[in-house]
Amino acid sequence: MSTLSPLNHSSGHVPEVPTPTVLLVDDEPITRLRLATRLKRLGYRVLEAHDGKTGLDLLRRERPDLTILDWLMPEMDGPMFCEQVRRDPALLSSQILMMTTQDQPEHLAEGLGRGADDFLSKAASPYELAARVQAGLRTAVLIRSLEQATAEIQRKQAVLEHELRSAAQYVESLLPNPGLLIPGVRMAHVYRPALQLGGDLFNIVHWSEHQIGLYLLDASGHGVSPALRSASLSTFLRGDNLKSHVRTTDPGAILTEANQLFPLTEDGHYFTIIFVRLDMGAQTLAYATAGHQGTIVHRRTGEVAWLTSPALPLGFDPSYEYATVELPVVPGDRLYVLSDGLYEVPSPDGELWGPARLQRTIGELGHRPLSEVIDRTIEAAEGWLGHDHFPDDVAVMGFELEAESSHPVTGR
Amino acid sequence: MAMQLIERPVANGVILELAGDLTYANREEFKGAVDLLRQKGCRHLILDMAGVRFVDSSGLGLLALVSQNFKLTQGRVSLLRPQSYVREIMSLANITQLMPIYDNEQDAMTGHSQAA
Repeated sequence: MSTLSPLNHSSGHVPEVPTPTVLLVDDEPITRLRLATRLKRLGYRVLEAHDGKTGLDLLRRERPDLTILDWLMPEMDGPMFCEQVRRDPALLSSQILMMTTQDQPEHLAEGLGRGADDFLSKAASPYELAARVQAGLRTAVLIRSLEQATAEIQRKQAVLEHELRSAAQYVESLLPNPGLLIPGVRMAHVYRPALQLGGDLFNIVHWSEHQIGLYLLDASGHGVSPALRSASLSTFLRGDNLKSHVRTTDPGAILTEANQLFPLTEDGHYFTIIFVRLDMGAQTLAYATAGHQGTIVHRRTGEVAWLTSPALPLGFDPSYEYATVELPVVPGDRLYVLSDGLYEVPSPDGELWGPARLQRTIGELGHRPLSEVIDRTIEAAEGWLGHDHFPDDVAVMGFELEAESSHPVTGR
Repeated sequence: MAMQLIERPVANGVILELAGDLTYANREEFKGAVDLLRQKGCRHLILDMAGVRFVDSSGLGLLALVSQNFKLTQGRVSLLRPQSYVREIMSLANITQLMPIYDNEQDAMTGHSQAA
C-alpha cells in the first residue's frame, strides 16, 4: 500500500518509507468512520480510539506518525490529552492535529498553548484534510530524523567516553606508587585531571639507593592530544632511556636534550616541565625548569619558598641550554611539586588564588602528615574556587626527607 | 572575548595591533593573520600588545611559533607595550629571550634601547 502514500509521490529519490500511521481519537463513531475512510483512501494506516485514555495507550504502544484529536470529548478532552502527551518524555514529540468547530483566535491560542501543533476544522474539505495531514507528517518525519540523529550522537558519545576512560586509566597506571621511594624520601601525591584525560603527568626515576629524579610536566592544550604527548615525553624520561641516551642525571642536561627532541607542534603546543634530582647521599636537591613555576620547598625550620628559575618552555628555542640549580637539603625538609592548575583558580568574582596564597597555606599547615597537607591545600583551593571542579589539571607531589636510620623501609 | 587585529605598515615592517585575549579560542584568527603577513614578505613583525588583557598557555605557544616561523624566513618578531600581567607571564616563561619587548614604536622599529 505504501505506493499510494502521498509522501512517496513527492520524495521518489528517498528510499521507500513505511506507510505513515495516523491515530484518530474521537468519541463520535460517525466522525471517526468518515475520517478513517478518507485517510485510508489517501493511503495511510489508521488507528482508532474512542476516548482520550485509549488514545494515549495506542500512542504509547504504536507511536503513530500523526494524531488527529477531537477537542470535545467526555472525561479527557483534547487539550487535556495534549497536556499529558507533552509531559511524557516518550511522547512529547508526537505531532497532534486538533479538530474543533470553533476558529476564534483565543480558542486556537488556548489549544496551541496546551500542546496542539495545528488545527483542523470539523467542516474541512477533503483537500484541506489531505493537506493538513501531509503538513503534520512532514514535521513528524523531521522530528523522527532529529531523534534518530540525537540517538546516534549519544551512542557515539558513549563509545568515545568509554575510550577516554580507558585511556585515562592507562595514564593513571603510569603514575608512581606513593610511599617510601628510597631510604629517606617519602612521597604522597594527588592527580586530578580536569577532563577525563589530563595533559599533566609526573613520575619518579630511580637512579640508585641514594638518588632519584622526579618530574612534573604539563602539555599545553586540553584533551587527547596533550595526553598522548605527555605519555611520549614521560617515555623519554624513563630511567633506562635517560641512562642510555642522555648519560647524565643532571636536570639541566636532561631538559636540554628533551628540548631538542620535543619541538613546538604545528599548532604551537609545547611542554612545561620541572625536573628535580634528589641526592640523599650528598643531601642536595638539583633542579631545572622549562617554563614551569610549581615547586615549593618547605624547610624543617618553617621557611617556605618557591623554587624559581625563569627558563623557556620546551620547544621554544632549539638551541636553548637549560641550567641546573643546586641547593642543600636536610632531613625534615619537604618538597612540593605541583601544577599551576592548583593555584591558578578563580574565585566566583574572578580573582585568582595565586602562588602567594598557596605558599602561605602550605606554611600554615606546617609539618602535619604529608598527605594531609596536600589534601588540605587542595581543599583550600576548592574553597576559593567555590566548588571542586578545577578548571585545569591538578597534580601535586609531596616529598618528605627523613633521617634514613630512624624510619625503616615500609609502605605508607 | 574575540580578538581584533589591525595591521599598519611601518618602515621595514608591519605593526599588528591586537585587541582581546590571545588564547586557545582565538588561535586561528591570530595565526591566520600572522601567517599571511609572513607570506606577503613581512620581515619585521611588531605585535602591539597594548590591547591584550590575557595570554594563556596556548597564546604563549603561538607567540613562540610565530617567532620561530619568522626566523625561518630571516625575519623577526618584536613585542610592543604588553600590559603588566601579560609582561609578567612573558618574563616567567622567559619569552623575552626570543622576542624583544619595546615600550614605544620608534624603539621597536629601530631595535634600539631595548626595554623590559
